[in-house]
Amino acid sequence: MNVTIKLVGIFKIDRFKDAVREYPSGICVREVVDELRIPTHLLGTVLINEIHAGVEDVLVDGDTVCLLPFIDGG
Amino acid sequence: MKSFTSDPASEPSSVLYSRCTVDLRSGKIHREDVPCRNLEDVLGGFGRSFQILAERNINHAYCEENPLIVNTGLLTGSSAMTGLRTYFSGYSPLKESKKSLPAAMWSTGSGNFGAKLKWTGLDELIFENRSTTPVYAVIRETAEGPLVELKPADHLLGLSTHEKIMALHKEYGSAHFAAIGQAGEQWENVYMGAVALSTDNQLKSGEDKMRFAGRGGMGSLMGYKNLLALVAQSSDKIKPLTPEVKKVNINVVKGGGAGRLLPISRGGGGGTWAAYDVLQTFHAVPVNNFRPQGNNEPEKLFREHVEKKFVIKSEACYRCGITCHNNVHEKSEDGSVGRFLAKFDYEPLNLLGTNIGLHDAAQAASLIHTCDNYGMDSISLGVTVSYLLAYNERHPERPLLNGAVFGEYAKIKELITQAGLGNLPEIGRGSKRLSESTGETSYAYHVKGLEIAAYQPETNPGYAWAIAGGHMSMGTYGLLTREGKSDMESWVQGITRDKLQIVGFDMIGLCKFFDITKGICTQMVVDCLKSEFGLDITIENLAASVRRAFLRGLALELRQGYEKAEYTLPAEVWERPNPNIKLPNITHPEFIAELQKRVWEIFEPELDGLLPQE
Repeated sequence: MNVTIKLVGIFKIDRFKDAVREYPSGICVREVVDELRIPTHLLGTVLINEIHAGVEDVLVDGDTVCLLPFIDGG
Repeated sequence: MKSFTSDPASEPSSVLYSRCTVDLRSGKIHREDVPCRNLEDVLGGFGRSFQILAERNINHAYCEENPLIVNTGLLTGSSAMTGLRTYFSGYSPLKESKKSLPAAMWSTGSGNFGAKLKWTGLDELIFENRSTTPVYAVIRETAEGPLVELKPADHLLGLSTHEKIMALHKEYGSAHFAAIGQAGEQWENVYMGAVALSTDNQLKSGEDKMRFAGRGGMGSLMGYKNLLALVAQSSDKIKPLTPEVKKVNINVVKGGGAGRLLPISRGGGGGTWAAYDVLQTFHAVPVNNFRPQGNNEPEKLFREHVEKKFVIKSEACYRCGITCHNNVHEKSEDGSVGRFLAKFDYEPLNLLGTNIGLHDAAQAASLIHTCDNYGMDSISLGVTVSYLLAYNERHPERPLLNGAVFGEYAKIKELITQAGLGNLPEIGRGSKRLSESTGETSYAYHVKGLEIAAYQPETNPGYAWAIAGGHMSMGTYGLLTREGKSDMESWVQGITRDKLQIVGFDMIGLCKFFDITKGICTQMVVDCLKSEFGLDITIENLAASVRRAFLRGLALELRQGYEKAEYTLPAEVWERPNPNIKLPNITHPEFIAELQKRVWEIFEPELDGLLPQE
């Protein structure tokens, strides 16, 4: 299945900004995060189709996943 | 601090802290060891200072009875990472209720001053009354204990924060400094004066890389007292690192604590600047006085764009491995590091950049630099200026001051310069007073008289219950954007239980980046207290003490005339809902009304008995 991945901030470094990628059906967000080698302690937010989601959520064909770094203070 | 117990939660009076009271009018100085009343006194910071403030009835911040309390936290000057905090407390000239009564306030910063102050042997300084002539205070370690002296400060008058610090540095070796700028000296027209705290980096490089205790105008209160600077002179007294504290410090840097704030080159998130990218995903980066436009303009100040033209140096506070400072320097033609411009934290960058219509890093840096050197709080300054620009945009036929509107850099810089010199009370006295003078209060982005931080109020109704400024004293700013919580239960729980715990850092002497998501009620802090002082304080003791201190702050607000209707957000949020923000709407009137009801139902019964009887 095809899933659009959008990466924000530091996650783009040495990766990409957005890309349509092919994954086996039934894959969850955590597996995408691992495949992209995104450090989990830096992961703050997951959006699936612009809705907040969790890393255990299962993806379906055509989903758009956005991975955002953690933000702290100011 | 002298401790004759290992259980200060049960026996607080067996812990004594060293306090010096300085009467600025008479010059009398009195030092004493004071027994702690409760665990808040033991931990220190605002947990202690607010109990002192609660004993006084203050109707105007600029009165002699309003003390300036300078203290540290239990872990300030310890070997626990980030233990560098100094706290400045008093009734605020800026934050006031609608009854025009000043609110109790604290602000805090790192730098090396706090540790040096602790190492002189003092835990707390209280400045009473005011001096008739400009003075500075020298706190010195001697064989007989800490010694405090007042010295004439005429030679410091008119100097910037950095200039004052560097002038004193020439006179006092092995010392660190706290100083106000011209803004604090002009306290009658500037209520948002900050206190600058010197850093090792600053003293060694000569570059103006200070830290600030900015919020609530404690620098203006210092100026009112004619107290221009503090000098803390002592030898360094860093204890050898114990295995327990070493383990904690490693966990702070490499574990969940602050790893996200490390430099990108070390696998971190690159400091608070990263918030730009995240918030822009939701079109929630404040633009043009908190009205995000739904466009890409904020991206111009993304780090990836700024670093093409400038050199960004990752630097740290003294002995801190987090290295969260992003110091922006000019880039020379050969790519080497040029002149230091400014430190880019999220709040000042946004509020003196994107939120006033400026998307150029050099311009934003110049304004941050100007603000820092005059010694103003960048949040209050930026938000007051953005209000003025919004007003002028709405009233081109009768603009205020120089008629500046969003994006007009030269005019905005002139406003900031003149405000810093005390020539523009319209700006220097903050957005609440300015908006009340124009009669257009709905788009003045303050809550309870204190300007909000650079998180859209649409994303954070918790601002209403922050007791010392938005993101510093109520950690709900990420509850919607980061955690995706838009239901009532989560917000009630967040405000009344979990997220208020953020204020614990402003008691104990640690920076929030020690572990911002978990607070101080952790095994890491328990281990540090045991290892450094032999104290057995449980996580539950800590949590109860932090909660009491927070609630005492809330009770003190109510005593200073705040009404429940003031625990709300700027009205523009619901009068003109912003369709560009891509997040659920949790700030419509019905949600706010229900939240107010639910939060007060929990808080109100707990407020009894926290303040001294009248």
